[in-house]
Amino acid sequence: MIEGLFFLLFFPGLAFQVVCGLAFEWLDRKLLARFQRRVGPPWYQPLADLIKLFSKEDLLPKGANHLIAALLPLVSFSAVLTAGLYIPVAGFTPFSFEGDLIVILFLMSVPTLAYYLAGIVSLGVYSVLGGGRSLLQFFSYEVPLLIALSGPAILGQSWSVAGIMEAQTVQGPFVIFQPLGFILAIVGLIGKLKRDPLDIPSAKSEVVGGSLTEITGTKLGLWHLLMKVQAVVGIFLVINLYLGWLKYLPAHLSILVFVIECLIMVVILSVTSAVFARLRIDQLAGLGWKILVPLALLQIGFVILMGV
Amino acid sequence: MRKITVPIGPQHPLLKEPLSMKLEISGERVLGGTLRLGYVHRGIEKLAQQRTYVQNVHLIERICGICSHVHTTTYCSAVEAILGIEIPPRAQYIRALMCELERIHSHLLWLGILAKHVGLDTIFMHAWHDRELVLDIMESISGGRVSHAANEIGGVRFDLDEENETLIRTNISKLHDQVSGVLDVIENEPALQARTRGVAPISTDLIRQYCMVGPIARASGLDVDLRRDDPWPPYDRLDFNVITHPDGDAWARTIVRAEETRESLHLCEAILRDLPGGDVTVRAPRKVPAGEAVTRSEAPRGEVFYYLRSDGSDQPARLKIRTPTLPALSLLPEQLSAINVADIPVVLAGIDLCIACADR
Repeated sequence: MIEGLFFLLFFPGLAFQVVCGLAFEWLDRKLLARFQRRVGPPWYQPLADLIKLFSKEDLLPKGANHLIAALLPLVSFSAVLTAGLYIPVAGFTPFSFEGDLIVILFLMSVPTLAYYLAGIVSLGVYSVLGGGRSLLQFFSYEVPLLIALSGPAILGQSWSVAGIMEAQTVQGPFVIFQPLGFILAIVGLIGKLKRDPLDIPSAKSEVVGGSLTEITGTKLGLWHLLMKVQAVVGIFLVINLYLGWLKYLPAHLSILVFVIECLIMVVILSVTSAVFARLRIDQLAGLGWKILVPLALLQIGFVILMGV
Repeated sequence: MRKITVPIGPQHPLLKEPLSMKLEISGERVLGGTLRLGYVHRGIEKLAQQRTYVQNVHLIERICGICSHVHTTTYCSAVEAILGIEIPPRAQYIRALMCELERIHSHLLWLGILAKHVGLDTIFMHAWHDRELVLDIMESISGGRVSHAANEIGGVRFDLDEENETLIRTNISKLHDQVSGVLDVIENEPALQARTRGVAPISTDLIRQYCMVGPIARASGLDVDLRRDDPWPPYDRLDFNVITHPDGDAWARTIVRAEETRESLHLCEAILRDLPGGDVTVRAPRKVPAGEAVTRSEAPRGEVFYYLRSDGSDQPARLKIRTPTLPALSLLPEQLSAINVADIPVVLAGIDLCIACADR
């Protein structure tokens, strides 16, 4: 019971995820700033931003549904935290069962749907536009992402993240056999996290703040926090599925390797957001269905041939 | 699909200056829109009639924050034309130098804004960082980064010394590298091209019909540049290329402006090389004899037109200012119909509106 609570609240649950989220965000912002010849924020800036948001007045437009608007970030936050529980951190998994990959992927799409609903219930013009865009974006990246992520599952002959990770200790990291799948997973992850260059649903110059335009104060703080945690969960997931070969390393070494892998992922995401312009939603749909899906299928075909 | 009306402005992250648009949107498609102007109307033409010619130089400087120098240059040359005085050659060169520096900084600023609007913040930061080099030059020679107070009737208010010239030379050579680097990046950046190519095309006919000027006209293949077509000294003695592009879309405008920045850098170097010695001012009387004058010059956004009528007192009887943004604004509602919501920033950035100039 105590142990379970510790897992839920500290490691690998709430506290760990939030700290990682803040750290990754700081690193990302600092790197991006350096790429853009800026100084970048001090290490406590993400936390300071969050505290400021939580202390702000909570407003909604007249006629908006306060209950649903408050529930949406809470539900999404718990969904991503739950997803985080099933993902091994440096080989450590308190909870794991056959099929948890599917549960994680389902829980990870909850925030996207909630984001859409937040746009609808908060009754703003830009919110509705941003919400619609987030659904369109969801349909563009989700299918190639799911096909790509099933590659490691087929190769590792398991639908559990821990199982796939263990399979890699024998077979070697799957990124070697599935470089294409790895790239597709990163593209899908960027789309899921609504990061630049796929920040179409919240593009400031187009739809102001997207779905969250009318959301303020604690609710906005929660939304930002859950997106940070979602980034952590996404990064951990990709690392475990493609770079997870460290099960039988000594504990301290495996932690070190895991941290380095996380850093590499953050650097990849930062560089991507620094060098690409935002796509238009029709261009993203074209990219998703005409290029990414065929590539993902190609990768799957290759994996199946390899398995035979 | 249901139609919704989306307000853009007077306050919107997309706009740097107040402008109000109401756009009819169905899904991701813009069906059309209406435009409302006048949020920064300050009545400058009327104010100018109530001030002396000398005071007006400072008033005119405040029409625009980006192309302030070209406005005072045009105004001063109108007054000088009625007075019948010719300013010393050194003053002419210094005026032209400031004009070209202003063009470089305006174009870099514009490139940054376009990049920011399509989500390419890196180019935005780099372009604005490079722009600081120009602002440093301006600050060192005039003391002001935005308002330079460089012109007075009869010449310019400061001279260049050895130190200024070295700073200009070093910063210009740095800018050459930076601008080439940025150009290299935007020419090889597929996503930026995907966002701007074929967006908001304007045909040469439409350019003629709406009297569009400046980089927009040149990007639609119309070869106009007042610095060459109706040169005021010292442009008649300077050699430069007029950049044109046949495509007429936002991408063509990007390339035209980027290449023009390069030409302006060459022009700055040429001006420094040919800079004659001598005085920078001649004495001008406070009262201007009755008469009228029309002067035009090529601002960063195109032709600036001044009409000045004097009734023999020390205050203008009428001052009419026409800025290059005006024709661009009249085409805006047409350009904002039948496009995607995501293209609105590109359309707006592509025509490089200067609302303060247009509203006056």
